[in-house]
Amino acid sequence: MDFRFSDDQLTLAEGVRDYLTGTHGPEVLRALDAGPNRDPAIWQGLVEMGLPGLLVSEAHGGLGLGLPEAALIARECGRAALAEPLVDVAFVAAPCFARAGDTEAMAAIAAGEKRLPPSHAINPWVADGDGEQLVSVDPLRNLTAASAGCNDDPYLLDLGALMSAAQMVGLAEAMLDQATEYAKLRTQFGQPIGAFQAIKHSLATCAVAIEFARPVAWRAAQALEDGLDSASVHVSHAKLAATDAATLTAETAIQVHGAMGYTYEVDLHFWMKRAWALAGAWGDRAFHLRRIDAAVFGGTLPIGPEHTFA
Amino acid sequence: MVLAYTPEQQAFRAEIRGWMEAHVPTEPLVTLECREGFDQHVAWERELAAGNWGMVTWPTEYGGRGLDLIEWLIFEEEYFRAGGPNRANQNGIFLLGPTIMEFGCDEQKARFLAPMARGEVIWAQAWSEPGAGSDMAAISSKAIRDGDHYVLSGQKTWSSRAAFADWGFGIFRTNPDSKRHKGLTFILFDLNTPGITRRPIRQLHGDTGFAELFFDEVRVPVENRLAGEGEGWNVAMATAGFERGLMLRSPGRFQATAKRLVELYRQHEAQASPSAREAVLQAWGAAQAYAYNTYGVASKIMAGGKIGAEASLNKIFWSELDRAMNRTAMQLLGAAAELRRFADGRVNQWLEGYIFSLSGLIYAGSNEVQRNIVAERLLGLPRVGAG
Repeated sequence: MDFRFSDDQLTLAEGVRDYLTGTHGPEVLRALDAGPNRDPAIWQGLVEMGLPGLLVSEAHGGLGLGLPEAALIARECGRAALAEPLVDVAFVAAPCFARAGDTEAMAAIAAGEKRLPPSHAINPWVADGDGEQLVSVDPLRNLTAASAGCNDDPYLLDLGALMSAAQMVGLAEAMLDQATEYAKLRTQFGQPIGAFQAIKHSLATCAVAIEFARPVAWRAAQALEDGLDSASVHVSHAKLAATDAATLTAETAIQVHGAMGYTYEVDLHFWMKRAWALAGAWGDRAFHLRRIDAAVFGGTLPIGPEHTFA
Repeated sequence: MVLAYTPEQQAFRAEIRGWMEAHVPTEPLVTLECREGFDQHVAWERELAAGNWGMVTWPTEYGGRGLDLIEWLIFEEEYFRAGGPNRANQNGIFLLGPTIMEFGCDEQKARFLAPMARGEVIWAQAWSEPGAGSDMAAISSKAIRDGDHYVLSGQKTWSSRAAFADWGFGIFRTNPDSKRHKGLTFILFDLNTPGITRRPIRQLHGDTGFAELFFDEVRVPVENRLAGEGEGWNVAMATAGFERGLMLRSPGRFQATAKRLVELYRQHEAQASPSAREAVLQAWGAAQAYAYNTYGVASKIMAGGKIGAEASLNKIFWSELDRAMNRTAMQLLGAAAELRRFADGRVNQWLEGYIFSLSGLIYAGSNEVQRNIVAERLLGLPRVGAG
């Protein structure tokens, strides 16, 4: 029993964070929004980092890592509000291809050549798909209708929900950081607004929500990696906890920004809108709550203090 | 990350489970907050100690088993699974014990720790004063050096367990000219020393759990000082860190409450509001999240890390979770929520739990103070007003 990421895992995630911080800041989001929404150079950069092949075995040109690493990097994608379909292709679709033994698809993903995200019956639409164009509230989410005859693979659904949860943890962290920085700089009544307890306490409440959503996501990632029978429940728990933390943090962050938060000019909205979108993707709150309900009240999941890791 | 127990950890779980099943009282004990109940709980502490379960993480020479924090969590899970009673000596074993371990000299460790683990000496804490509650640095009770003694004078209040406990610990101003955090010293004292008057305070539930302590020229030997003169604030902060952080409220307690809540919901499902069902599921989820977080903290400490201001996140989370769970139970009970005892004579433990849960947001530093700590020390927002 050791509920910690290894130094290697943390170093990997830190490398991705540093890369995205350096190459994918808010100015990039604004430029994408003003232009064609996608820049091949961004995808190329991710490919050069080896990220599309993170979960693909080394024999097929990947890094051969596992879901905990992917969840850590999905969180970084959330922190950076990355719009490229990396998470859905590399961390959600790739493990399914691996399970199905589709080595051709795995190799194509690892090479960065296959970047069409998976469709699933739970999602009526998909970002960066090849169907009819739709308009998302998220200006960097190129929404398209899902292809017909979707699959309903439960493993694909769990992966999608888990990675959405991990992204929402990162989105929430980034929004808390932005609101905190704003509260340090913005002065009213002769002091930074962050010196007022009303602001402090609101932001502290977000920090609590995020602190206790994070380990639920990591636990779910490990449960799915270990193939536990209960993994789906833990994934739903992660999606629920991350959705609630991100929703609370988004609402708090805009409030702390005041009228500035209501403008298109402040960067916050990119993160907030991504959180709204991901809250409904790969099973909405009600769907995941119902899965937890079925496990807890249905008696399929043992509960109580002695069953922490059931 | 390895989220599975080793065979040794599983064997340890089986051992404590077997012992608890054989020893846990079959009838719930009378509340700790009265003489009869306190004595029952002390007897239970001694039974635990006889099984060598007093404080499993302590070194064997101090009455422990030298186990690690994961094993402590397993112990706690099984303790609450079996419905083990509240720990009469929690101030000692969870708060003062680790503090003595960190700051005490060898003589103090030998003198205080083993009797604590054996349940022979029950400890009360004495932090707050009438003018120093959330603002603990406003403490004015004095400890003036006189030869090889300190002379204590002043008043402490909300002193948990002090109505019936044997010894107390707290911080006193050893330098009468000092201000705020400076000039304070951490002192241990026998509650039966001449000059100490205890006045039990009746609590919200009607019983007397905490007390006021009046110190009138109380002579305490210098060897009862923990760490150096004037270092009391730092020692107290470490104690408070243990209180808010890992030890005081282990996750097993809340997981057990969540499980009972699921059962209560099943009994009352026909009359329950739709929102109660989600509240019950949220309770399960939050108790699990708290457990994962605690395993994370324990793993970090075992690898040489420390907990700092993160302890305040914990304290906010478990206290608000506890209140929410008990509130949901009160809603599920409906009209019966107000009964102290149900028609069949059973104590309404949900009402007792709800009343107690309200104190959780206040003791160990109110949640407003905790949110300030989170905002200032974790988020780096500016401090204003506090010295």
